Amino acid sequence: MTAFIISICTAAIVYAVSILYAAIGEIFTQRAGIMNLGIEGIMLMGAVSGFLTVYSTNSLKLALLMVILVGALLGLIFAFFTVTLRADQTVCGMAFLIFGSGLSGFIGKNVTGIASAVKFEKIEIPLLSQIPVIGDIFFKQDILVYLMYLIVPLSMFYIYKTKPGMILRALGENPAALDAAGINIFFLRYAYVMFGCAMAAISGACISLSYTNFWNEGMTGGKGWIAFSLVAFSRWNPVGAVLGALLFGGISIIGINMQIYLPGIPSQFYSMLPYVATVAALIITTGSFRRKHTEEPAALCQSYDRENR
Amino acid sequence: MKKKKLISLLLMMALAVSFLAGCSGGSAKSDTESTGIAAKTLDYSNIKIGEITSLVVNDGGWCQATHQSIVAAMKELGIPKENLLVIENVAEEQVAVTNAYDALAGEGVNLIIGASAGYATFLSDLAAQNKDIVVAQQGDKMANLIGYQIRNYEGMFLAGYACALMSDSDTLGFAASMSEASVRAAINGYALGAKYANPEAKVQVVWANSWYDVDIETQSAQTLINQSIKYMGMEASSPAVPQTCESKGAYCIGYNVDMQSLAPKAVLFSYMWNFEPIFKKIITSVAERTATGDDYYYEGGECSAISAFNDTLVPKDIQEKVLKVKEDIANAKINIFGGELKDNKGNVLVTVGETLSDDKINTQQFLVENVIGDWK
Repeated sequence: MTAFIISICTAAIVYAVSILYAAIGEIFTQRAGIMNLGIEGIMLMGAVSGFLTVYSTNSLKLALLMVILVGALLGLIFAFFTVTLRADQTVCGMAFLIFGSGLSGFIGKNVTGIASAVKFEKIEIPLLSQIPVIGDIFFKQDILVYLMYLIVPLSMFYIYKTKPGMILRALGENPAALDAAGINIFFLRYAYVMFGCAMAAISGACISLSYTNFWNEGMTGGKGWIAFSLVAFSRWNPVGAVLGALLFGGISIIGINMQIYLPGIPSQFYSMLPYVATVAALIITTGSFRRKHTEEPAALCQSYDRENR
Repeated sequence: MKKKKLISLLLMMALAVSFLAGCSGGSAKSDTESTGIAAKTLDYSNIKIGEITSLVVNDGGWCQATHQSIVAAMKELGIPKENLLVIENVAEEQVAVTNAYDALAGEGVNLIIGASAGYATFLSDLAAQNKDIVVAQQGDKMANLIGYQIRNYEGMFLAGYACALMSDSDTLGFAASMSEASVRAAINGYALGAKYANPEAKVQVVWANSWYDVDIETQSAQTLINQSIKYMGMEASSPAVPQTCESKGAYCIGYNVDMQSLAPKAVLFSYMWNFEPIFKKIITSVAERTATGDDYYYEGGECSAISAFNDTLVPKDIQEKVLKVKEDIANAKINIFGGELKDNKGNVLVTVGETLSDDKINTQQFLVENVIGDWK
């Protein structure tokens, strides 16, 4: 039974991390007032660029660097459209979704279904990995999971306990006030969008460099949308995103196991469960019937035009 | 006078004979000509083939298996590889399929092969509108299409047989994709093969409910491994199952193509779709102008192929046993769906001495007696 619990929890963490990078990145982006619906496309670009790099060089460090650069570059372009040109953010996001999906398939065509020689392997943290149960679950993971252990608290600290974090929150609520105070909101929005896209790219790389060591078109399988929905589910809070990701991942994994323990129920029901749970949680946590205000940034999805301030 | 009459008569007869001979000679000539055209086969070097796939042709799975088979058949028949036109990533919807069909028709193809069962309805309608192009489609028989299918259960029988021989436990696993007749045939073939090696063998099946999902397939394999199952078969397209097995010290049979390179410490051998013999027959029938929309190929033997064994994992004696069983299947000494056959709810499907018909094999809605799990 212990081994079973360890297996479920370990798998839930791995699953959760693969969407958390994108979710936390999008939290920062949306906190800055920009909505990016193209997460899935950027994840695919991250997955393929990371895989192509590791396939060519056998270097995971170089692959991760390439993933971050590709994500940031896509973020730069997205920011140019949405911040400078003030294009519709929803339309731009969908365009990036289609662009990323198509371009990743095109550039990854020749390496489809081929395994790379290296991938991120599990690293056992000395001493900590020997703690019964806890050590097996939390401290026998790969570097991308360990980085997430740092990113979540750092994100919380940044957003809620630092001056730049306060500016970030203000940016999403009332950019005009910040602009009037002499803060370069355009630069900040560019920076946060690039950061968000870089994180989304890392999420994609989790799948092609850690979860598996191959590339196939569309291999993210809709995780970008799950990451996007987690942002609202989490109320734009990184810890909330962790809980949501674990909920979704945990239920997915438990559902598969239930085919063995409760075989009388159609397997499609178990496949449906994580989505039902997520929708239910989303309604409960964001439904306006529960609270008088929502944590959604007031200026989300609204382009800022200084002339019309 | 009589002489003149005689000469006139002879001349008229000569004219008549010449006329008639000329006519019949003419019609005989046209008959010969029309018969010659009808009998004339197409020059293989001029045959153009179109291929429509749902993914890319090197997807490491089903599309790759289909594409490789077409290329091999063309090579065997001396058709230049430039004569193969491929349209990839065609969605299973009418507009996409029609566009792909029209594009290929515009290039003057003689034969179109649809590599996804979801194209069948659309291709059937298109084939009805244009009799000049022969259309072949994998799956069940449909009007206006040459249908083809492989007896995958033969290869999966060998897979189950090998796993049962190698396993210390009576319980094996099977990571399945979607509950569809050919997948159930694969599971049943695997389970019956396991039972052939070990009468006590049981197969636990786990459904991913997806044709391709890295996460879910990983979890399917992990779920089976959590049940102390070390040997499993799969009917899934990503390498997630073999790679999970490799990381957890379990073993599996690869699927679609040879997966050994993806998980060399886990893949015993792979079940592979080998459509080459079928495509050779189809292309030949197109060349000889004998192809009809009633043709259907349901082949086993070399079509239901297995890859080379992983010599580091599979002992030689087991390899020999598997090959012997393969030979017995080919020689009809083993009747995989022969009676008595029961499903896992205790119903008798086939009585002793009888065999499940091909129609029922192709549409089976059951899991055999030693499978743990439901097919719905």
